[in-house]
Amino acid sequence: MTHLDTDVLAEFRAGLITGRRGARITAHLAGCDRCTALDDQLAGVSVLLASVPAPAMPDSVARRLDTVLAAEVTRRDNAERARGDGTAESPAPRRPGGNRGFRLLTLRVLAPAAAVVVLAAGGYGLSRLVGPEGQVTASSSAGSAARAAAGSAASPGHPYAPAAGPAKGAVSRPQRITPRPMVVVTGNANLSRAGLAQQVEAALRAPALGTRQAPSRLRGCVLRLADGHPLQRVESVRFEGRSATLVVARTGADDTAWIAAQDCSAANPHVLAVTSLTSGISGP
Amino acid sequence: MPDQGWPADQELLRRHVAGDAEAFGELFRRHRDRLWAVALRTLCDPEEAADALQDAMVSAFRRAGDFRGESAVTTWLHRIVVNASLDRLRRRAARPALSAGDEQAFEALVAQDGDPARTSDTRLDVNAALRLLPPQQRAALVVVDMLGFSVADAAVILDTSPGTVKSRCARARARLLPHLAHLQGNRSDSQSVSPAQGGDT
Repeated sequence: MTHLDTDVLAEFRAGLITGRRGARITAHLAGCDRCTALDDQLAGVSVLLASVPAPAMPDSVARRLDTVLAAEVTRRDNAERARGDGTAESPAPRRPGGNRGFRLLTLRVLAPAAAVVVLAAGGYGLSRLVGPEGQVTASSSAGSAARAAAGSAASPGHPYAPAAGPAKGAVSRPQRITPRPMVVVTGNANLSRAGLAQQVEAALRAPALGTRQAPSRLRGCVLRLADGHPLQRVESVRFEGRSATLVVARTGADDTAWIAAQDCSAANPHVLAVTSLTSGISGP
Repeated sequence: MPDQGWPADQELLRRHVAGDAEAFGELFRRHRDRLWAVALRTLCDPEEAADALQDAMVSAFRRAGDFRGESAVTTWLHRIVVNASLDRLRRRAARPALSAGDEQAFEALVAQDGDPARTSDTRLDVNAALRLLPPQQRAALVVVDMLGFSVADAAVILDTSPGTVKSRCARARARLLPHLAHLQGNRSDSQSVSPAQGGDT
């Protein structure tokens, strides 16, 4: 038998040559130092490749992927919220193209025509800032144009009605809008289990101290609790002496208020208390 | 990993599908260095690898609900990354295999390693040699020999049969041998491997 070709030997090593032909190769290798050396070298290729350490991902790539992932999470949240608002009086218009969530979000925040756009972004958060007379009771990043729009959008009869959406219905009829980034209202309410519904309603009428963006864990928690129902309010509170989050959503004719524990997340919807707000905070 | 109190990959994927905003990030970060390695070694271009990995990550994020558990989650993730990488290679197929631009990209690839001590001559030569392979052979060799997947899992990742994986690996090893043989003298563990090991590792 002539010496073995490298390709043949590589196929033999990979188990692709068996039977009588394989037996002949085995027999040849047993008596041929040259082919045995070649066989060893082929084995060494795999050993060498396995020994090369995997390159660590550069920080710049890691940061880029984190940014893209955050945009995907936001896009999914928005899509879920839009689906949840399918029963709302005035569902938000569908956004053309589903792949540009992060860019659109950025553009919305930066857009000069902030009055309507930022209301869409602030949603229930901004509505919380407006007092019964339409006065702004706390500052926000929305800017003066947005505050003015919020003032005109709030209905005096329904101080906690969500701010109006597009300018068309802003003055004459408050309309529910789809909030985009989830805004958490900072409050100083100290709630307890007894008479919770009344305490919640009172807390919702108190001036807010400020707002902040919901971190992703809290966002997951809130979406899990609301389960597709239109959100009315997310507010940081204290409950029985511990930090918690008040979540209010319109669940049919009434609103439901949950007191979510600090560790609440989408996977762990840890609720400390729940109550129904029969008077409805969000108006007709 | 579950025995260390961490959720298993499949559990993280389930949580992601259920709406957990953080589960996918945790899952992806867990495997990202290996996913980066397969994209970088398949494409031999860090910019293209970053683009492919981004495409793959978004695809996996959105298609997580399609995962049926027929393979390990990591196998599924690698399959998506390899597909994204090969798609990019197909799109640039008209380009010559070793253009000046590729050489520059390769230098950048080596220079991007944050730990200079790990940028050995061996690695330089291995990376350069990998570029000589046709993309399908390179992908098979990276998955089997460099990442250590079994031939069966590699067949899932590469969406082909185990026999084809073996064949591609065999041809790739034979092709690389003249370019890598000089490195084997530096190794103390380059003893012979049995045919079964060589084919099924």
